[in-house]
Amino acid sequence: MANTPINRLIEAFHRLPGIGPKSAQRFAYYVLRAPEEEARDLADALIEVKRSVVLCQRCQNLTDKNPCWICLDESRNRTIICVVEEPLDVQAIERSGGFNGLYHVLHGVISPSDGVGPEELKISELLIRIRDIDKEIIEIIVATNPNLEGEATSMYLAKLLQPLDLSVTRLARGLPAGADLEYADDVTLGRALEYRQKV
Amino acid sequence: MHLTRLSLTNIRTYERLELELERGIHVIAGENASGKSNLLDAVAMLATTRSQRGGHDIDLIRWQALRDETLPGGRIVGEIDKRDGQTTLEIAVVASENDSDANRRTSRRFRVNAVARRASDLIGQLRVVMFSAEDLTIISGSPSGRRRYLDLTISQFDPTYVRASQRYSRVLQQRNSLLRRLREHHGSLDELDFWDDELTTAGSVIFQARAATLTRLGQDAAIRYPTLGSPNEKLSVRYKPALPVALIQNVPRDEFESDFRSAIEEGRQQDVWKGGTQIGPHRDDIEFQISGRDAAVSASRGQQRTAALALRLSEVALSCEITGDPPVLLLDDMLSELDANHRKRVIETAYEVDQVLITTPDFDRPTASELPDAIRYRLVMGTLNRAEESL
Repeated sequence: MANTPINRLIEAFHRLPGIGPKSAQRFAYYVLRAPEEEARDLADALIEVKRSVVLCQRCQNLTDKNPCWICLDESRNRTIICVVEEPLDVQAIERSGGFNGLYHVLHGVISPSDGVGPEELKISELLIRIRDIDKEIIEIIVATNPNLEGEATSMYLAKLLQPLDLSVTRLARGLPAGADLEYADDVTLGRALEYRQKV
Repeated sequence: MHLTRLSLTNIRTYERLELELERGIHVIAGENASGKSNLLDAVAMLATTRSQRGGHDIDLIRWQALRDETLPGGRIVGEIDKRDGQTTLEIAVVASENDSDANRRTSRRFRVNAVARRASDLIGQLRVVMFSAEDLTIISGSPSGRRRYLDLTISQFDPTYVRASQRYSRVLQQRNSLLRRLREHHGSLDELDFWDDELTTAGSVIFQARAATLTRLGQDAAIRYPTLGSPNEKLSVRYKPALPVALIQNVPRDEFESDFRSAIEEGRQQDVWKGGTQIGPHRDDIEFQISGRDAAVSASRGQQRTAALALRLSEVALSCEITGDPPVLLLDDMLSELDANHRKRVIETAYEVDQVLITTPDFDRPTASELPDAIRYRLVMGTLNRAEESL
């Protein structure tokens, strides 16, 4: 492909996750046809997000204010931290409305084959935070994904936090809400039985 | 159990094949390269999700479809009739959009009774035992081939084995990566704790299943071998796990797992130096001996063939015994290679199960007197026609 402005734009869109060559073309031609103002808005939004969004010094979530609004919100329960893999997980848990504590974003999980060990994650930041900033913490909820790497990370955290005087918990595993028992796979159903609750 | 319907779409040489099947023996005659083996391989894939021929998933898709279609994909559908009712199995392989031919990605989808499932839910719904001329490589080939043989055999009747194997290979990959990181002085040895726990939990399931299966297969094959034309020779089949000798004694499960765990932990430093896990099921082997001598090295091809045949016949017996429902037999162009005695034994077994698919290059071989009531087909240019003429 010739290195023309339009091709450079198509390639730039193509690099975005989930965008194939066809969609990239459509985006580029849309921008071409749109008024210049709209293109400028898009460009400004892109630049601004790169300039102003940083990691919150406390919870490591993405924010444009530092510390972020969740960390500053005095109405939240400041004795519980929910540890998640990615910023998107914070949004998911916020949407659930079931949690009113603080967060800590690890920015990944332990996965040696991807070259990610504990020191590549925001784990030391979590320890410093518990020790120096949020001293009233009594519980850490580990909300990593229920896969091999997520489990490895939660086990590592549990061990690391053991000497501190707090309870470390893990999200429950079982059947999704509204699910049909008949269609549940064996592993999930087995877990659901294992972690059954009194009614 | 038996297959009642088989449907192939864009699989290897088949553009489209629809086949209604009954109980009994089916003989499929076709010239070389007419797609006989592809047909049996597709059936075997429904049982194990893996091709017996190895290779990449992209090779499963008919090449004309790969060339001409924007989103090419192949599909295998089978309906089976089991003791506990009807089940429909489906495997679809889809290639990614036509970016560059060299490294096109493929993805697989599995369905059981039209509901999307994981591979591990499909494996073993249909059980097959495949007899082929290459079976002697179980004896003479590489240890990895023997592990593959074990995996394909055990996974068909043990779902926990399938899950343990999948978990084991993922854990092993992560552990080995961590070992290499540690060798380059990133991180500390206790980061191995989680992976060592997981490795030994999954590894113990694999060990127990392999040990139990090989004991039963070995005993049965040892009885069969002398009846297959060599009355004075003795076959012995022995599991050779890649574990310290002290561990391999017949210990109860819990004890075994914790001993395995300590052995793995003791080996950590050496594993770091070598940059890989030195003990565990991923290095297991099976030893075949004929009259006390290693069959891989010193047996003749005839002896190896006989030992492999004994093993396959034992596999059929074991599959029946464990599940109470005989597997489907697949005989890939192998009857012609056998002597009269062996052929007779295989045909006897064929009449003991519900369904057999046999491929052959000659329409009238095996003969009608050898296989009375067999349903015969001719395979020409990817089309299968039931032959109405009697032999």
